[in-house]
Amino acid sequence: MNVARSSGYYRTRYGEDFALLDTKTQKAWCAVFVAALLAYPFVAGPLALDLANQVLLASLGAIALMLLTGYAGQISLGHAGLLAAGAFTTGILFKELAAPFWLTLPAAALAGAALGVIFGLPSLRLRGLYLAVSTLALHFIVIYAGGEYETRRGFSTGIIVDPPRLGDWALDEPRAWYFVLLAAAAATLLFAANLLRSRTGRAWRAIHGREAVAAALGISVHRAKLSAFVVSSTITAIAGCLFAYYRGFVSAEAFSLYLTIEYVAMVIIGGMGSLLGALLGTVFVVLFPYAIDAAMNLLGLAERLSSVVFAVNYSAFGLVMILFLVFEPQGLVGLWRRAQDWFLLWPFKQRPLAGPR
Amino acid sequence: MAELKLDAVSLAFGGLKVLEGVSFQAQDGELFALIGPNGAGKTSVLNCICGLYRAGGGRIEFAGRAITGEKPHRIARMGVARTFQHGELFAHMTVIENLLVARHARFATRLLAEGLFLPAVRRAEEEHRRSVEEVLEFVELERYRHQRVDALPFGIQKIVGFARALAMEPKALLLDEPSAGLNRDEREDLARHILRIRHELGIAMIWVEHDMQMVADLADRVLVLNYGQPIAEGRPEEVLNDPRVVEAYLGTHAL
Repeated sequence: MNVARSSGYYRTRYGEDFALLDTKTQKAWCAVFVAALLAYPFVAGPLALDLANQVLLASLGAIALMLLTGYAGQISLGHAGLLAAGAFTTGILFKELAAPFWLTLPAAALAGAALGVIFGLPSLRLRGLYLAVSTLALHFIVIYAGGEYETRRGFSTGIIVDPPRLGDWALDEPRAWYFVLLAAAAATLLFAANLLRSRTGRAWRAIHGREAVAAALGISVHRAKLSAFVVSSTITAIAGCLFAYYRGFVSAEAFSLYLTIEYVAMVIIGGMGSLLGALLGTVFVVLFPYAIDAAMNLLGLAERLSSVVFAVNYSAFGLVMILFLVFEPQGLVGLWRRAQDWFLLWPFKQRPLAGPR
Repeated sequence: MAELKLDAVSLAFGGLKVLEGVSFQAQDGELFALIGPNGAGKTSVLNCICGLYRAGGGRIEFAGRAITGEKPHRIARMGVARTFQHGELFAHMTVIENLLVARHARFATRLLAEGLFLPAVRRAEEEHRRSVEEVLEFVELERYRHQRVDALPFGIQKIVGFARALAMEPKALLLDEPSAGLNRDEREDLARHILRIRHELGIAMIWVEHDMQMVADLADRVLVLNYGQPIAEGRPEEVLNDPRVVEAYLGTHAL
């Protein structure tokens, strides 16, 4: 969309206006990046590979939340609940019917879509904080239902899920998981980017803060809101299904409110209204606790602080979030764009007001 | 025949009567000005027509169909477009994106097809991009097409709002003080656009305006509102000299 360019336009077709990659430089960098991603699991160690898998898995949920909150402007605190819904659908179908992944995945998606309608209904009446609280209530209902299933069926510690199988081959090795998750994340990213450059995405962006104007332009605001909730929830539930298989374990405790807050943090720290922001935010939030851990080790504090390591982690996380809200509300994407501008414009400092964007 | 007809429309917010007995008709190709002092209820009339307010009484008809109490997006899809006094653009979008939003109801692409960006979606996007370009050409905004609207001067933003309404290919156009905040040059451009719409598109326009000179020069007919009630209607030269209108604007003891 609005990517900074060093010089003007070379477009001769309307199609080029909505191309995902514009200049040759962008295409070249993209190719390099993809090559690096494909080579990564062959050079990374076990921990680095697991971290990458976590980032890829979380990026689905972050993209989904970015569509809903960053673009359509609908606040939701039900994200962990939706992940749980996808994970529990998978776990229950596996336990009760021994269903294979090609049944549990669409089932999780359907459950997510249905919950999306339910989560979305309050948004037709409520806005802002009130909407947030209503989605929070639904979060607790989903988690309660999951927990209830666990205790009733005697899986008090959680549901164990076997890895997905295709014939004799089982998806249980981190490197194979990496490629599966990479494909899932890439497909989600492409799907989201495509929606955003077409009619539905524009309707979402239009209802963001200007509902009456959007309605006067012929957009059904209700429909746009519900579609945003349904798309976001479906993607999130699919992520929940993958989560269940990746961990091999589903338990209501894993989907605490803190998980929701982590996803909200990804969107805020990454930068509202940007898919790139969702990805940067995911990397940041997933790696943050490990970075804090490494920093404590480096400073030789790990021994002394070992009893309060969670407290240190949480408070550092909160502090970073506050710093972003105060100093860089546009998040990591804002920093990235500023760095880009700095290099593009050097030795000048300000972008001309009417220049090409 | 896409005429717009209001019959004894009234509107009240609690005990406050905003509109009372407002009736008029605007034909195709007619530039119908709606004037009156501040707070007379001009914008409220537009909001009632396009469904943002629900008229408390009376009847609004468009192209022979009653639209009273209909949802705003349905009225818009019937062909009623409007501009807003303060532009109300989508600030974080480019000029082109703002206009493409207005093409929403003219698209029929499905969400899943959009997510996969199937060839049909690509074709539709290109087609609507082309229609938008025609509108940009009509209002001479081509050189701003890729700019974010919040970076544009206010005068240009107003024209973008005007272009956004045109991009809907409306059968009736509601203009809410399109000249407010524009300088002399920009007003002349605007007047030219309005006249071209009347000549080339031949659609009905309801035009809320404070610039009496423009109204006198351009409007076909004028309705004057005062405290929500119509006090005079007719050709501009008759209405603007009507003693009741002069009184509404200047008071009885003027001079």
